[in-house]
Amino acid sequence: MLWHRRLGLSTFVVLIFLAISGFALNHSPGLKLNQINLSSNWLLDWYGFEVPLAEGFQVDGKWFYQDGNKALLVDGHNAASCTAPLIAVAQTTDGFFALCSNGLNLLNRDAQLIEQFGAIDGLPPNTQAVTVLDNKIYLTFDSTTIDSTNIDAVIMEFNAHSLELKPAQIAPKALKDMRQAAMPLPESLQKTLKEQSSGPSISLETLILDLHSGRFFGQFGVLFIDLIGLLVCILSITGLMGWIKRR
Amino acid sequence: MLKQLYRAALLTTAAACFVFTSLASFSVNAKGVYQSGPDFFTEVFAQQQAESKVLWLTPEIRSQAAAIVGHPVRGLRIRYHQSDSKTAWILEEIGKEMPITIGVVVEDDVIQQVKILAYRESRGGEVRYPAYTAQYKGAALQEDYQLNRNIDGITGATLSMWAVNKVAALALYYHAAVNQSSATHQP
Repeated sequence: MLWHRRLGLSTFVVLIFLAISGFALNHSPGLKLNQINLSSNWLLDWYGFEVPLAEGFQVDGKWFYQDGNKALLVDGHNAASCTAPLIAVAQTTDGFFALCSNGLNLLNRDAQLIEQFGAIDGLPPNTQAVTVLDNKIYLTFDSTTIDSTNIDAVIMEFNAHSLELKPAQIAPKALKDMRQAAMPLPESLQKTLKEQSSGPSISLETLILDLHSGRFFGQFGVLFIDLIGLLVCILSITGLMGWIKRR
Repeated sequence: MLKQLYRAALLTTAAACFVFTSLASFSVNAKGVYQSGPDFFTEVFAQQQAESKVLWLTPEIRSQAAAIVGHPVRGLRIRYHQSDSKTAWILEEIGKEMPITIGVVVEDDVIQQVKILAYRESRGGEVRYPAYTAQYKGAALQEDYQLNRNIDGITGATLSMWAVNKVAALALYYHAAVNQSSATHQP
């Protein structure tokens, strides 16, 4: 009987947890557990989701970045539609030029969208970069696919008023030196972006199920729950034996 | 007798599979870019000298345009081509989830042509058929900024149809705005 008591004492916390979690799982649709999504960093890390730091371009003190959905954000404000990735951002004295995979967004100095120059308007699909040098806008194209497009050179000068492209006589290196690389966003913007966008998440139902089965803690967790199951069997046998002995 | 029945069943199944796959591939093919903007303008103004211009959206134009399409319009200017009293516009409007790119030609405040240049939704692409878009020819804008005629819908393409209706009304409004601004700039 001593062992029965010891076993009971050592397993009662786990048993209560298993009973409550089992009850929650049984009534998961009613409790809408599958609709509650958790996305805390440690949980996503634990489940092996890689949450990369969002990157953007800091131009003239403003942060330009893509929201992971279909918008170009400038310091948190939705400025234009932008299919990922946001490839490059450059500025002239007139405004900003943000190149996304679906087109080149022309923005004024207040980062308001003036208009978008997309594939339907004649932007070649192989556009790789937008660079500004001496207040002139240059678009760089992928040289390997240039034959399949209607452009004549790897670098074309872009007229922001007429939206025309003309071949540019400029060394690619001169533009390359001017290009800005994407940088991780500051923490405050990372936080707002995470709150606004629909990134990876784990449903509460999955979490409870994994805790209930022990899978949350890997192979050892499963073995532990197996052991608890075995102990419950032993408890019921020793309990029955004790009851018979008392009679 | 059984053999004949078996053959008939087999043939019917094969025919059904064929029809089903053709229909499926047909609906997938509805997605795509049918004509680029520059090609559309070249086609519209083949015989005329057209000029590429921009209409700057003043707060008044923006607010009326937003009322027509039911949401704020994006961009501070709209590009169009003009030759005399004829203007051609390329505008986008979301059908269900994806934008539909629509070319609209307006002459003397009346729609001359509506053409779907790019359709990106998986369903509802029937709005691109000339039989449907021909209904807009001759449509004008009423005082309440609605089209002055009823457009017959297509089953399963209601949202796309609404999008085309909005864009047609918007192009007519922009055309009127261009005429108005050029009239006020006349000496």
